[in-house]
Amino acid sequence: MVEILEESTGKDGRRVLKVAKEDLVQLMKELKGQGFVHLSLITGIDRKDRLEVVYHLQNLEKNEYIAVKTETLDERVPSVTSVFTSANWDEREQYDLMGIVFEGHPNLKRLFLPESWVGHPLRKNYDISKVQYINMDENGEDYATFDPGDGW
Amino acid sequence: MMGSHISKPDEHGWVELNMGPQHPSTHGVLRLKVKLDGEIVKEVEPVIGYLHRNAEKICELDYYCDSMIYFDRMDYVGAMNMEVGYLEAAEKLLGIPPPERVQWIRVVMAELSRIASHLVWAGAFGLDLGMLTPFFYCFVEREKVLRIFVEACGSRQETNYMSIGGVYQDFNDKLVHDILEFTEQFPKKLDDIFNAYVKNDIFISRTKGIGILEPEVALDYGVTGPMLRASGVDYDVRKAEPYLVYDKINFDVPVSYKKDNLARFLVRFEEMRQAIKIINQAVKKIPDGPYFNPKAKKSLMIRLRGEGEVYARTESSKGEFGVYLVGDGGVKPYRVRVRSPSLKNLSVLPYLAKDQMIADLVAISGTIDLVFGEVDR
Repeated sequence: MVEILEESTGKDGRRVLKVAKEDLVQLMKELKGQGFVHLSLITGIDRKDRLEVVYHLQNLEKNEYIAVKTETLDERVPSVTSVFTSANWDEREQYDLMGIVFEGHPNLKRLFLPESWVGHPLRKNYDISKVQYINMDENGEDYATFDPGDGW
Repeated sequence: MMGSHISKPDEHGWVELNMGPQHPSTHGVLRLKVKLDGEIVKEVEPVIGYLHRNAEKICELDYYCDSMIYFDRMDYVGAMNMEVGYLEAAEKLLGIPPPERVQWIRVVMAELSRIASHLVWAGAFGLDLGMLTPFFYCFVEREKVLRIFVEACGSRQETNYMSIGGVYQDFNDKLVHDILEFTEQFPKKLDDIFNAYVKNDIFISRTKGIGILEPEVALDYGVTGPMLRASGVDYDVRKAEPYLVYDKINFDVPVSYKKDNLARFLVRFEEMRQAIKIINQAVKKIPDGPYFNPKAKKSLMIRLRGEGEVYARTESSKGEFGVYLVGDGGVKPYRVRVRSPSLKNLSVLPYLAKDQMIADLVAISGTIDLVFGEVDR
């Protein structure tokens, strides 16, 4: 049995469970066993001192709805890809834009940006005034650079 | 093939083929790295991000009311549905419910937008299979919908028609007359387009029994919308968690149990017929009243403050469109997160295309209904 740290109701009237990140995968397995088969969304939130990850789950038969929250201080969260395949691209996106490392993910690469991009744009301390340019090398792979080169 | 490059065979005798991002049958800027054994697809790796603008970050830097235009540019062929999706979340967070008249108007516009979006898909799907004629018939009908949008708000695609707590302009008699005129003639035209497809033997042989998506797999990959319903799962957010006034309208959710390309085609066409049914009911039921909430007058709009967390889901033309808004009490949102249905539907393509012919890969990716403004955001 997983220890629920906090249970509350969100502003949209939905149940929110908060767990420690060590219990996350176990709780997801239990919820999936109860019929929450549809993982709608994974969201990372930068709270400046910590990173929060929110999972929205849906039970299609009973039409129930639940949100699971966990937080991390060291940017690392266990991956739930072993429970839900749909978490694969969601976690890659959150790694790409938010810089959350999902431990145990089979293919944790950036989803939208090139691998050589510096920083994670959705972080609150990301400097948007520094422009990075995307270019293509001889093998047809994209890379990011701070050097504008010859322009367009 | 345009935009393609073929490598030397690897140890299995497979060659790597690069399709896109500038390829006519990839519906935008999808790039597929395909491993081929002869003509059989062995592995597909979608490479996305060529249209990435990070709308989520841009929304964080703007007032709540200003973010609307970035949502228009996500699913640009069905922009009204995106606006409805954002406003469902924003209005709950800011505590500004729309008046009843606005809710009915939004239903009419969202369903017209669904028809416009499905018509683009229907035309482009024909092009994927080498049929040019239905494309023009689809776009003639779509043009009529866009004329209605121009009449309502002066804009064709990125409409920016709805605003927090209301709509930009009220419905007038001419608009209602135009809509009813459209819905009266459209079913006949839709049947013509439908017959142009299904009475073609080549079309049937290219779609029937190809691209089978089992319901368990679809749910596991997070597939939603017409694709999920074509796999036999009866899940529609309009029924499961009604928003606006969908619970007061009588309509059916088409479901097919055939699971293949043809099933997805049939479900989308039936959805257009149901959309006409919804519009016909809603247009007649629009009550009198104000067309915006007085708490969200234009002069007050940038002072709206939101606190808390809201996740709102709507059924866009592609599937379950979700917006997760987090406010910290300021005039700008703290975090905006978008669930784009096309992205999740695309993630199932490597599974669907495995061990199929390369020509069927194009047909299968056609049935997913990709719009890259939404996939990449």
